[in-house]
Amino acid sequence: MPDIFISEEKKEEKKKVKENTPVEKEVKEILGKTLIKKDKKSLIASYLRNPKGVDFEIKDKKEKIELLLRMHPITNIKWILVSIVMIFAPVALKSFPILDFLPGNYRFIAILGWYLITTSFVLENILTWYFNVYIITDERIIDVDFYNLIYKDISSAEIERIQDVSYRMGGVTRTVFNYGDVFIQTAAEKPNFEFLAVPKPDKVVKLLQDLMIEEKQEAIEGRVR
Amino acid sequence: MGQVIFPNFPTWGIAKGFILFGIAMYVVFGFVVVRQVKLMTNTLQLGYEAIAKTLSYLHLMFTIAVFIFALLIL
Repeated sequence: MPDIFISEEKKEEKKKVKENTPVEKEVKEILGKTLIKKDKKSLIASYLRNPKGVDFEIKDKKEKIELLLRMHPITNIKWILVSIVMIFAPVALKSFPILDFLPGNYRFIAILGWYLITTSFVLENILTWYFNVYIITDERIIDVDFYNLIYKDISSAEIERIQDVSYRMGGVTRTVFNYGDVFIQTAAEKPNFEFLAVPKPDKVVKLLQDLMIEEKQEAIEGRVR
Repeated sequence: MGQVIFPNFPTWGIAKGFILFGIAMYVVFGFVVVRQVKLMTNTLQLGYEAIAKTLSYLHLMFTIAVFIFALLIL
């Protein structure tokens, strides 16, 4: 019903009052909090908050990925250095006549074989680093491990079964590059989860603690997802 | 060719056989890598599946190329 008997001045006041009500402000605040910044970093990063375009085999339809973790990129330095040495090894061999007893064609195949092994070494390390991830969703923690490209191990535990969360960060490299190990004790089938060499372990622990509190609140309020 | 202990013994022929066998095993490994990358990308979709698959196929092609080279050159 339109306001017929109210003067225009009062109508303007009413409109102003409506815009400034505490309820509206509260709603705007809540909406603002829920609009969490989605991580715009590339999917090759080691710490991705609310990543887009990520899915995994055992994911529930309504499950939301809060954090995707990998080992810190600095942990790849070792194999990168070894790969560089392997790439330049045949060049260094010119100074050391190790393969001189072989005919020319055998030497060529030996060098090709060496580069084949180098390629396999690099590929295996890249794939192992990229696909070994730790995922924290709003309901679970998941540890995805691929050992030597052949063996797959996926462990998960519900957030409400987490009993204790701690982290360890020590040493010059870890302190400088801000990465460490997160240890999670659960009442699940797998009692211990270890997120090794992950970036920002303090933030990971904080997130897990927040999720644990949220789960407890849901349990108290009787909310079901 | 280098010195051989037994002049009539097909040393390099046997060496070629072993080398080809070794590279053939590596070709099989190349197929295993392709299959495993496929399994990995089925387990986790992280946005770079096409690149991972391409790298695995390139690796396989490299192993086959080395096998063919060895067959022709040795």
